[in-house]
Amino acid sequence: MRVWGKRPGQHPVVGALLALSLAVAAIFFLQIRTAEALPSFARQTGQQCAACHNGFPELTPYGRLFKLNGYTFGGGSSPWPPLAAMAVGSFTNTKADQAGGAAPHYGPNNNFAFDQGSIFYGGRILPDLGAFIQVTYDGIGRAFSWDNADIRYARTTTLFGAETVVGISANNNPTVTDVWNTTPAWGYPFQASGLAGSPAAATMIEGAFSGLVGGATAYTYWNRLVYVELGGYGTLSPGMQRALGEPDSSTNNVINGVAPYWRLALQHEWGRNSIEAGTFGMSAAVTPMRIFGFGRDRITDTGFDTQYQYLADRHSFSLQASVIFENALFGASSNPAIGATANSHDTLRSTHIKATYYYDQTYGATVGAFRVDGTPDPILYANPTNNSPNSTGYIGELDYIPFNHGGPAFWPWLNVKVGLQYIYYPEFNGLRGSAAQANNTLYAFAWLAF
Amino acid sequence: MSLQYRPVLAITVLFAAALAGMSACSETTPSTSPVASGPVTQAQVAGIVHVCASCHGFEGRSISPTFPNLAGQQPAYIEAQLKSFRDHKRGDPHAQTYMWGMAGSLSDDMIHGIAAFFSAEKPAPGETGNPAEMQAGKNIFEHGIAARHVPACQGCHGNHAQGMAVIPQLAGQHRDYIEKQLGYFASNARKNRIMHENSKNLTADEIRDVATYVAAQ
Repeated sequence: MRVWGKRPGQHPVVGALLALSLAVAAIFFLQIRTAEALPSFARQTGQQCAACHNGFPELTPYGRLFKLNGYTFGGGSSPWPPLAAMAVGSFTNTKADQAGGAAPHYGPNNNFAFDQGSIFYGGRILPDLGAFIQVTYDGIGRAFSWDNADIRYARTTTLFGAETVVGISANNNPTVTDVWNTTPAWGYPFQASGLAGSPAAATMIEGAFSGLVGGATAYTYWNRLVYVELGGYGTLSPGMQRALGEPDSSTNNVINGVAPYWRLALQHEWGRNSIEAGTFGMSAAVTPMRIFGFGRDRITDTGFDTQYQYLADRHSFSLQASVIFENALFGASSNPAIGATANSHDTLRSTHIKATYYYDQTYGATVGAFRVDGTPDPILYANPTNNSPNSTGYIGELDYIPFNHGGPAFWPWLNVKVGLQYIYYPEFNGLRGSAAQANNTLYAFAWLAF
Repeated sequence: MSLQYRPVLAITVLFAAALAGMSACSETTPSTSPVASGPVTQAQVAGIVHVCASCHGFEGRSISPTFPNLAGQQPAYIEAQLKSFRDHKRGDPHAQTYMWGMAGSLSDDMIHGIAAFFSAEKPAPGETGNPAEMQAGKNIFEHGIAARHVPACQGCHGNHAQGMAVIPQLAGQHRDYIEKQLGYFASNARKNRIMHENSKNLTADEIRDVATYVAAQ
């Protein structure tokens, strides 16, 4: 999440606001990466998780259609309502201790944590209306909040002789509606430690307004070839945000009016292969920290992405890559009265790439890399050497999903994922060498859904 | 009203308007809800067929060989298989992953309607494969392998692999799908006494050759 704030210590109030923003960023970082395959979907469809997911949460072509059709496909005979729960526990080791503790109530290193517990409504409400709604208890921040929410109404018709899905979504997070795992809400890493440092700089669309906005998008998916989605997002009122569990609702950034959101994608399927290439983005007029009267920032994110999948009976492979360009005109944040940025114009670029192999949808290995780089800013990205936002990380991950083809007899919809992830940082918040590598993170997690 | 409420209100109004507009188009967008029992309408069948098409392709011609083409398939065969999936009598791996659930709530009438729909669609065209494999497959398809008690496939599946009643059409089916099914029959992962006997003595190469030949028809 991008933080539009002032250097800590420069002003106590602004410093406190920045600290709050960072805390919220940490919460969002957890929220947007931990919603996975839902047992309630499996009960509703009667199908195994592997039907929709190539090692969840990555979607198969069928999973994409299930989501675009509003989570309404049936088939299962379970009498249970479309509710599901999940829990995530973990162990985190960072190369260097974190002075003062990795988080309140935690030690400086080698922490075991109950990362989160979530309750979901996931499935059909009416024949063509369905929802994915998540309420999460953040076990590290020790607070409840709403998480990803996506309520859809979708129908299928024929246009120019081809199958066409049309739908609308009401949701709370730009890109949560997307069906390729290249965009921020459902992009890699799918799980990340909440007890390790993460790069401070990120583009707006990478979760800055997750859960703080209400939005509606309309989409169409023609002939499984062309996907177009357009919509807009507006900031929820402080009272509504507080009611939904957002802790700094009176001081966070506000979208003025409606921020337009777009998504265009082309997909081609042949044999067991599918490839997608597309663009997505959002442009928002933002009042930083709800400090009105000093103008607005104009933040525009434009992303380009591609995904390739090969899905066979035993072997599957996928590759996702994306790059997001952010153009930030800090008309308000650079005003000395606010002083959240030094420059009136910054740019930022966020790049992600990862490749995953799964055997029998059970044993997975992933390698990936990410980089964020952009304009140095002595307030926004203050550090002792170069005020740079730049960070680079390399990720390796091993996963084991024992029940992806069906759970144990006593509860066939149980799903478990255990993983071991390591992130190596050659550069972190503009710093290199040992200062960067101090953040190298070993993260072992167990994910349980039922 | 505060500034922050207006965009949310505007978005809500737009959403409601879009919802109303789409609801008005109900005649082109059938329900995907299964029907428990009793006669079914064309619209109800269309709703379920729409779900089938997610994997089997629009009009029953699939893209991925994981999922068989259904267009032009023998209706009695489709009916028999859907009932086998529904009743968990066909248990090969993909049947369990996808079809046990997909067919779990289908009534006999709905299954009949689905079978009628797909069987009336235009079959997928055959895809020519490796000439040597096709020739070897043609020999097995037409003559069998007497020394190993493998009968000619065309004896049941027809001269043009068109099938008959509960015996499936193989012409134009995905090569990989046929190859996989013959392997399942041979290993008894897909239980069928006749097909087990017919396939158990085929080598992997011979299975590939037969699959290549029928896929090209």
